[in-house]
Amino acid sequence: MKSSNEIRPTRRVFLTSVAAAGAISFLPRVGLASQNEATSKTLAFDGDNLLSAGRGLAVSGDDGRSWIELASPGRILALATHRDQPGLVVAGLAEGGVARSRDGGKTWQSGRGGLPAGEVGAIASAARNPDLLYAAIRGDGLWKSEDAGKNWSLAMDRPWLNEAERDPLTLVSVDLETGMGGIWIYAGTDVGLTRVPDCFCRWQEVLPGNAMDALVTGSASPPEAPLPLGEPVLSLASAPSAPERLFAALPSGIWASEDGGVVWRRMIEGTASVVAVHPGDEQHIAAVIGSTLNLSRDGGATWHARAAG
Amino acid sequence: MKPRFLLLACAGITAAIAVAALAQAGGPTAKAEGVTFLGEPLTPEQIGLGRELYAANCASCHGSKLEGQPDWQRRLPNGRMPAPPHNETGHTWHHADRQLFTITQRGVSAVVPGYESDMPAFEGVLSDAEIAAVLAYIKSTWPERQREFQAKVSARDGGRS
Ligand code: HEC
Repeated sequence: MKSSNEIRPTRRVFLTSVAAAGAISFLPRVGLASQNEATSKTLAFDGDNLLSAGRGLAVSGDDGRSWIELASPGRILALATHRDQPGLVVAGLAEGGVARSRDGGKTWQSGRGGLPAGEVGAIASAARNPDLLYAAIRGDGLWKSEDAGKNWSLAMDRPWLNEAERDPLTLVSVDLETGMGGIWIYAGTDVGLTRVPDCFCRWQEVLPGNAMDALVTGSASPPEAPLPLGEPVLSLASAPSAPERLFAALPSGIWASEDGGVVWRRMIEGTASVVAVHPGDEQHIAAVIGSTLNLSRDGGATWHARAAG
Repeated sequence: MKPRFLLLACAGITAAIAVAALAQAGGPTAKAEGVTFLGEPLTPEQIGLGRELYAANCASCHGSKLEGQPDWQRRLPNGRMPAPPHNETGHTWHHADRQLFTITQRGVSAVVPGYESDMPAFEGVLSDAEIAAVLAYIKSTWPERQREFQAKVSARDGGRS
């Protein structure tokens, strides 16, 4: 709710102030240099173009070597693009509501369309349908729009982890079958990873597909290597070209999974806060680590830091 | 099984009468025609039995009109979810027959390990045939679109197992 935001500092405000005080080193630092360096709160690939939103909005057509500033529709907390619709960009706004661009972020249309007031902290477009959008309203729940953001309806309350409701800090539609006639939506929260089928049947842990069989037959459970327990999952990306491949940004680094999130390994250590993957090339990854934007073209084996544009 | 229904079943009432009874009864209209469960077709009598069993065992939470609990998309203070509708406004029709059966017999944690919910397990309360009848009754109330969707989900589920 709006009023409580004014009294209670939001997580972001908290992060910013703590980082400014330099008190805790693992928190993402808000840089003072160019907006592309340290202030990327969110990244998204729109085809080959990399969008970066933080204090403002900018786009790079050369993997972050140079940037063009764009007019931001507001303070953007989350971005979504779609592999099937180049130029389509959807932005979740700190002041509430969602903005939509069809020209790669040059011009925007904003609206509420039935969304309640409150920060839109995370946003995703459905992997199989660019008109189907999901938005997480801070302190409220998960909303969905079937008409590209014109009208919204409540889909589901927030996930419940470690005895409390948790805000999705990041959402991603993952093109893996649920067995319920649809695909999964994964969410990162301040205490870990969770997911919900797109029927919104229920939030649940990420478990191996054959965990049920093991439960029934009493056979050994398949191997699991979850993300570090209790650590915030600040950003998630799913490679549309290889949907079982997921990336996660955590304060401990960038993590990757090759099996839809059951087994994870750390690709790079560092205070990661954002990760994005190219829609057509799962080897092409962008991440904010510490206060630097990093690009990899080989699936995370090597990284190249980008200075400010 | 309710004695009254045993009687009816024993009396072997005709399909026509059962359908008429379905139509008269308050709840949503059931269209028994073509309803199957786990691949088996059900008779209008079985679906009539399912309707009765639904009223006795499920309606208190899922609603006499299958409408679910109020505000069912919002968590209760204890963190659990309310009972969702079983009609087309809910998500029951996204589950394969086998999954619906397992949830009803053994609770939601039987399909989502570790999941906590207020959905009771009906094992020992309802027989397998009775569970099939209740779920077939629920299916019989769905519009064509939901029926087709769920039939596909069930078919794919069968192919995988
Ligand atoms: C005491 C209340 C209660 C009763 C009685 C009850 N249910 Fe439920 N049921 C629930 C709740 C609560 C849920 C939601 C569980 C969750 O997702 O957390 C549920 C969920 C379900 C689901 C899963 C729906 C979906 O789409 O995920 C099925 C199927 C179901 N119930 C069938 C039945 C049937 C059939 C009966 C009667 C034989 C019945 N229930 C009786 C409370 C009840």
